[in-house]
Amino acid sequence: MAGLVLDEICKGWDFPVLDRLSLTVEEGEFFVIVGPSGIGKTTLLRCIAGLERLDAGRVIIGGQDVTAVKPYRRGVAMTFESYALYPHLTVFENIASPLRARRQPKEDIARQVESVAKLLKIDHLLDRRPHEVSGGQKQRTALGRTLVAKPEIFLLDEPISHLDAKIRHELRRQFHTLEDLRRVATLYVTHDYAEALSLGDRIGVMGEGGLVQIGSPREVFEKPADLFAARVLGQPSINEFSAEVEGSDGALSISVENGAIRFPISGPPASVLGDHSDRGISVGMRPQHLSVVRDGASSANGHPTVEGTVDVHEALGATGVLIATVGEQPLTVITSPEDHYASGEPVKIALEPENFLYFDRQSGRNLMLGQS
Amino acid sequence: MTTNAMATGQSNYRIIRYIVLAFLVIWLVFTLFPLYFAIITALKPVDEINRMVPTFWPETFRFDNFAGIFADPGSLKSLIDSIIIASANTALSLVLGTLAGYALARYLRGALGENLAFFILSQRMFPPVAILIPIFFLFDETPWGTDSYITLVLLYLVFNLPLATWLMMVFFRDAPKELEEAAYLDGYTPFRAFFKVTLPLVVPGMISVAMLCWIFAWNEYLFANLLTGTTVKTFPVHIPTFVAGSQTLWNFVMAFSLVAMLPPVLLFIVLRRYMVRGLSLGVVKG
Repeated sequence: MAGLVLDEICKGWDFPVLDRLSLTVEEGEFFVIVGPSGIGKTTLLRCIAGLERLDAGRVIIGGQDVTAVKPYRRGVAMTFESYALYPHLTVFENIASPLRARRQPKEDIARQVESVAKLLKIDHLLDRRPHEVSGGQKQRTALGRTLVAKPEIFLLDEPISHLDAKIRHELRRQFHTLEDLRRVATLYVTHDYAEALSLGDRIGVMGEGGLVQIGSPREVFEKPADLFAARVLGQPSINEFSAEVEGSDGALSISVENGAIRFPISGPPASVLGDHSDRGISVGMRPQHLSVVRDGASSANGHPTVEGTVDVHEALGATGVLIATVGEQPLTVITSPEDHYASGEPVKIALEPENFLYFDRQSGRNLMLGQS
Repeated sequence: MTTNAMATGQSNYRIIRYIVLAFLVIWLVFTLFPLYFAIITALKPVDEINRMVPTFWPETFRFDNFAGIFADPGSLKSLIDSIIIASANTALSLVLGTLAGYALARYLRGALGENLAFFILSQRMFPPVAILIPIFFLFDETPWGTDSYITLVLLYLVFNLPLATWLMMVFFRDAPKELEEAAYLDGYTPFRAFFKVTLPLVVPGMISVAMLCWIFAWNEYLFANLLTGTTVKTFPVHIPTFVAGSQTLWNFVMAFSLVAMLPPVLLFIVLRRYMVRGLSLGVVKG
């Protein structure tokens, strides 16, 4: 049975934040919504929680239409981006809050709070107040408060976005192992693509008005429905250029930004793009599909190459990020961490056209979908 | 910057410091002298007070003036009456003002709420004298008449309730709405969420409001003098009764005034700690 069903929900008249958005999240599914800031992700969660009134559509939880049900009777637990911990109550009382609301016996409350606190490794902080604990501990407290509630739906709004990188990774790992989250339907909102790819059983990419694409993390990352979805996922961001298809059936080539970059194409892209020689396209090159050809290496494994100059090179330990200028166009390339490049140095960059993404310039639609 | 310029900067700073200090000293003299004079007057005998060149240090100390004021049983009763009226009025102002302020802060946003809130506050700006006579006739018609506790408790609401409502509205607006929403999702009804989460957040504000209301009701003279005076007599009305023939007993007046200052001062010292805002610090992401 479906955990959560959204049926054509709408919010906002003059500027529709949600426009006929439909989504089904199965019981036990961890669904991540990813999208840029301010696109309406939080509004979506607030609509499901009942904190915002829908302008149209239905929200169905556990097979029951709860569109008109007040938030305190919906059986939904939510963590807020700001944590929303009660400042006048201790960590213990904050976590115990949903149990107190149900007037459970004292011993039961103490037992449940302590077991959740132990699970989240905050059992030594139970007597403190929220302003006396760190950001990560606040987030754990907020998470504990939703876990003890044993809701039918978990709504997590950017739970770890404001924490520092180390704690963020630690908590992200914990989201994988929390049994409670994996048992019921969970909706997790983030703007960080790594969280989305790491945690999601399925991912929904949110654009203006609703979900642009829904699919498994791999599917959404490798085959984005359009340029927008390609932009949201991936760090460093995808290189995008407007381009033209040149040549005839036998030898097609792509001319990027009026010939600044030019490379031949073959295989599946060639068969699709052949029909688009009259219309403009957009090319998306993920930085990992570009590589630097070192001096002395005679070939680039048969890949076409372009010449450019180094702008900036960031050595990040595990990888390197090189930004080069190729015919006035900036190009971001992933490099190996051992290599170092000086600003102004000439570089030869190998392209992997078979891995590039090709979009219709007008609609932004991915041209390769449904073809391969 | 050269050493010379730095020295000039420092000496400029020092001059400003001295000027500020001088102003503070003058200000202190102005504010503390009346209090000082009240204290020494309370300790003088009557004939020393009536001298044309007043003494600034009593020649004879009459500590028994403080005992003397309580020889009149009306003195103690007037203080008790004042405490009853001020406390009852404060409690009522606080309960009604808190509920009204919450409603204005949460449910009446926008033009209607703003205008209504300002209209309520504007009641406080009305010159009280203008309604003195109508108020007298109004309360004269009530079953309890003008000279009763209920009269003053209700009447002071006219002044205290708008202030309490407005201030509580401001405090509730500052209390994050998200905390209430978190409480809804924990399963609290709006009514329970209010007492569980929102009300505790505004307690420091409530204490400040209580202090303001209490002190207003404690010191009010105009209406108390006109409406009450026999069955009920608050201390400001009692003070002018310290006369002997055609002579005002200034030492008794001052001694009694000093005694009447004690409750609000004590109240302030005890509650000052709670009046400090900032309980809601640390709620936001950190």
